[in-house]
Formats: sequence, structure tokens, C-alpha cells
Amino acid sequence: MEVLHNLAFGFEHALTWQNLLYCAIGCTVGTLIGLLPGLGPLSTISLLLPLTYSIPTGGALIMLAGIYYGAQYGDSVSAITMKIPHASSIVACIDGYQMTLKGKTGLALFTAGISSFIGGTVAIIVLSTLAQPLGEVGFLFGPADYCALMLLGFFCVSFVSSGSLLNGLAMAMIGILLGMVGTDVNSGVPRYTMDLAFLTDGVGLISIALGCFGIAEVVKNLDNKNVLTPFNGTIKLMPTWPEFKRIIPSALRGSVIGSVLGILPGGGPTIAQFAAYAADKRFSKYKHEIGTGCIEGVAGQAAADEAAARTSFIPLMAIGIPENAVMALMMAAFVVKGIQPGPNMIATHPDLFWGLVASMWVGNCFLVILNVPLVRYWLSVFKIPYTVLFPAILFFCCIGTFSINNSLDDIYTTAVFGLIGYLFLRLDMEAAPLMLGFILGPMLEENFRRAMLLSRGSFNVFVNRPISGTLLAMIAMLVAWQVIVFVRKLRKSPPHGHDNANMPLAAAVEQR
Amino acid sequence: MNMNNRNFVRGLCLIAIALLFGGVALNYKIGELSRSGPGLFPLVVSCFLLLIGLLTVVRSHYVEPVALDYNVKNIALILLSLVGFAVISQHVNMILGIIFLVFCSTFAGTSYSVVRNIKISLGLIAVAFAFKNLLGLSLPLY
Repeated sequence: MEVLHNLAFGFEHALTWQNLLYCAIGCTVGTLIGLLPGLGPLSTISLLLPLTYSIPTGGALIMLAGIYYGAQYGDSVSAITMKIPHASSIVACIDGYQMTLKGKTGLALFTAGISSFIGGTVAIIVLSTLAQPLGEVGFLFGPADYCALMLLGFFCVSFVSSGSLLNGLAMAMIGILLGMVGTDVNSGVPRYTMDLAFLTDGVGLISIALGCFGIAEVVKNLDNKNVLTPFNGTIKLMPTWPEFKRIIPSALRGSVIGSVLGILPGGGPTIAQFAAYAADKRFSKYKHEIGTGCIEGVAGQAAADEAAARTSFIPLMAIGIPENAVMALMMAAFVVKGIQPGPNMIATHPDLFWGLVASMWVGNCFLVILNVPLVRYWLSVFKIPYTVLFPAILFFCCIGTFSINNSLDDIYTTAVFGLIGYLFLRLDMEAAPLMLGFILGPMLEENFRRAMLLSRGSFNVFVNRPISGTLLAMIAMLVAWQVIVFVRKLRKSPPHGHDNANMPLAAAVEQR
Repeated sequence: MNMNNRNFVRGLCLIAIALLFGGVALNYKIGELSRSGPGLFPLVVSCFLLLIGLLTVVRSHYVEPVALDYNVKNIALILLSLVGFAVISQHVNMILGIIFLVFCSTFAGTSYSVVRNIKISLGLIAVAFAFKNLLGLSLPLY
């Protein structure tokens, strides 16, 4: 009952004209930018983050969340219609694009839209019931536990986003080291600032995000020279009743899987999609059709996608630790607005928390309206050639960087990170763990130092405490598993075998 | 020792970054575990990174080499247009900066057309004015 009361309280905040407007703008702009080739949720959020600086706190958070799930959804539309594989919607490319090839684009888009709605709704129920109890758990966390949780997050994100633990961990550590730049909070000593005044506050988050996700992606697309053929097919949206009935079980299954995987460290939409797709492949009544373009292949993953996108807010708001790169950016936005996400957030800012939860459902409705009846208008976005698009993206990167401090010098920093991001990209190093490392780095150091201070320099504290002990055991199992996989592969095909461990998860699934 | 093997070069890069950050960290006070100085944590992280870099180099001998492909022209053009945009906006004004950005960056595209570039520039200048007047960003447009 208390949950219903809280939700009603949240809707009071979410349904003011102002917040409705912010939610609508967020969803629309997020979908629009998410649709564009080469711009996933991470780049969309970093491009649009500066726009929210001048908006009041509640509205800004609502708008940012809208941008996030809008971008997530826009991504899957471009995956279904044109098979533009972004990391965040790679599963939609499999069955969704097969449906387009069969001339059933409309059905695929309808399925994705409705399933996303179902997934989002289930996730909001989970979010509103679980966030508070988990927040209580958050109070049990000591510094050592926080360290262990962050480490587990790094390991999971590294593994999920790049498919190779080594590469991902390396990027997370580079991120941590970049986070060290600036003044040390404990001793006041400037570190790695090279005596440059603007580095004493640290490297700008937006510069890193726009450099690694905006500019580097633009150059990558230019290198590929891929000319996209715009989608010109007809769209027949409404399904028949038997088709509609097939959506529901798969979408519900996907919602549950997505909600659970969204909460776990390193979880989030990408891994949830794969899990839901795999579950459909095993348990669906139509499992023999999956992979050839059938409804279940789209419904399950779309529901899981949206569900996980929303439940991944839980660790951020309940414990204060973002579990993936997108949530790390969100956390940065929270902090800019003067709110420290964590166990205290729900108690001290109930209006923000419940308003945000309620607005997610409102945003859900907006997305269905935007994407089901109006989807054909969105598709005209694809008719813009990339040669027109990329100068505009560059311009927005510049404006985004500039508007934080009204300083043109920041654009140089962004350019430098564009170069670094491009090098990483060419060396096949995924930038998402870097982002997470950058945001969590200072927190990790703070908690590590505190834990060491409390234990008088003994590492036993990490093993003795039940929470951190369990989390570290999970890390150890993950590492052991990776080593076993690598050694087995070596034995099977010495010495130059096919390097599957190095392949992103997505490619591995497609190969199967 | 193939400099064209992506896995190998990646390992080398990681080692270089680790040595750079670790080396600088040695200049700061390390302290002891229970009362650590500013240098301790970066040093620990750099050591782990160094380890990963070494592992990557070793691993590159066991897995199939992957060619390293890159295109200097595109990244150089894009960086040049960004830097040019900032310099021109600082010393002249942002409208000229936008025009430079468009005309310089589109050299990296698949085709080049002056008419199209003029249209893009006009569009972006209009957007910039909208940002300035509607969203209240203080862009140095003129």
C-alpha cells in the first residue's frame, strides 16, 4: 500500500505541465538523436547533457531519463529498419532486420513498441518496490564493501562491453587514472596537472564523453565510408489478433529477465537483450522460427531492453554506485545538480525519486505514441546523408563542450580526447569501461583509503566482511572462468587459433 | 615483434600509459597503506595496468594477429576543424568558426560540394542563433 501511496505522490510531481513538457522533450530528442547512425545512448546523453544545466533539478533528471530510454528505443528502430548495429541494440538486428527483409517492418516496429511498453511497466513496478529495501541494504555497506562492489562492477562491465576481460579492465584502469587528474581531496596535492591551471579541477567529463563517443565515432564512420541506403518500404503497423497474442508471453518473459539483469552489477540493456533472446530461443512456443524473423525474437529482447534500462537506475539511486557507463553519466548529471545519489537520496529527496519513477511511466506512454503511430515520420531522419550529418554532430560536440564553462579552451581538451578515443577505437578498446572508471575512480580511491585507514593497513578487511567477501569471491570466479576458457581454446587450436574470447559478445552470438 | 599487429600494439600502449602514470606517481608522497599519501593509489592502479599490458603482449603471441588499420587523413581533418573552430571563435567570431568547421570537416566525407556546405553552414548558424536566443547560451556569435 505504501508503494501505491508513494507512486501517487510521484505522479503528482511528474504530471505538472512543466515536467510533462521536459519528459516529452527528452523522449522526442532522445529518440531523434538515437535514430541517427553512429549515435547510441552514451553519445546521445553526452551530447544533450549540457542542455539540461539550465533546467530545474527535477525537470532535468526527468528529461535526462527520457533522453536515455528514448535513445535506447530509437536505437532499436534503426536496428530493425536498417541493421545499423549499435552496441545497445545489437540483438534487434537479428530478428528485427529479418522481419524487414520479409516486408514486415511495421509488425516488427509495433512489436518492439508494445513490448518496450510492457517491459517498462514491469520495470517500474520492480523499481518502486525494490529501491527502498535495497536502499536499506545500502546503509550496511562499509568502505571495503563499496570497494568490492565497484571492482565487481568494473569486471562485469569490462566483460560485457568488450567481451575480453583484459581489454575492458585495462580501459577501466585508464579511466581510474584519468579520474586521478586534479587536486587530491585528502592532501590537497595537485596530481598529473602538468602545472596547467584548468586541470586542477580535473579533466572535464563532457570532454571525455564527447571525445570518445562523439568525435571518435564520427571519424570511425567516415573511415568506413559506409553509404547507408535509406529505408523506403511500406509500413503496415497493426497486427492481427493471433500475431498480437504471440507478443505477450515473450514480452513478459523479457521484462522479468530485463528487470533482474538490470539490477546486477555490470548489467544493463545489452546483456539483458542477449539473455532474453536466449531464453526465447529455448522456451518459446515458436523457438524453431527464432532467427528467421519472428515476433518472439523481437518482443522478448525489446521488453528486456527497456526493462533493464529502467531497473539499472536502482543500484545508482539505492546504493549510489552506477553499474554501467550510461548510469555513470547519469550520476555525473545528478552530482552537477547537487544531488548525491545513494541510500540517503530517497529519504532526503522523495519528490525527485518518486517523481522520476512516475515520469518513467509517463515517458513510456510518450514513447508508444511517438513510436507506434508516428514511426513512419521518424524514418525520414534516415534520408539525411551522412555528409550533411557529421558537420552538424561536430558542431553540437563543440557547443556541448563550450556551454559547460563558457570556455572555448575546453574544445581543445575535447579534440585531444577525440584523438585518444580514435586511437582506442583502432586498437579495439571499448571506451565504455573507461567512462565508468573515470566516474568511479575518485570514489574507489576514497573508499580504499578509508578502508585501509580503518583496518590499519590490513587487506583482511576485504575478506572478513561478508558483503565484500562475497563480492570478491564472485570476481575470483569470473576470472577463473575466463582463464579456463582461454586455456581450453589454446589447447583446441594451437598456436594460432580463432580468437573467440577477443570477440565482442554480440559478434559471438551472431556467429552461433 | 610486429608493429602492425593490433593486439601487440595495444599491449605496448598499455605499458606506456602505465609507466607514464606510475612514474609520475612516484614523485608524490606514497605514505603507507594505513595512512596513504596521494601517490599510493595511482601507483597501485598503474602496477595493475602494467601487468595487464604485459599479459596482453604475451597473449598476442598466442592468438591470431589482427591487422591494425587506421586512416590519418580523416582524424587529422576532423581535429583540425575542431581546433580551427575554437581558434576562429576566440579571435574573430563563431559564425566564421562554423563556416570553417563545415568547409574543413567535409573534406573527410565521401563527396564535396560547395553549395551543400553553404546550406549546412546556414542551417547550423540558424541553430546557433536559436541556442543563443531561446536557450540563453552565451555564444560569441558576432
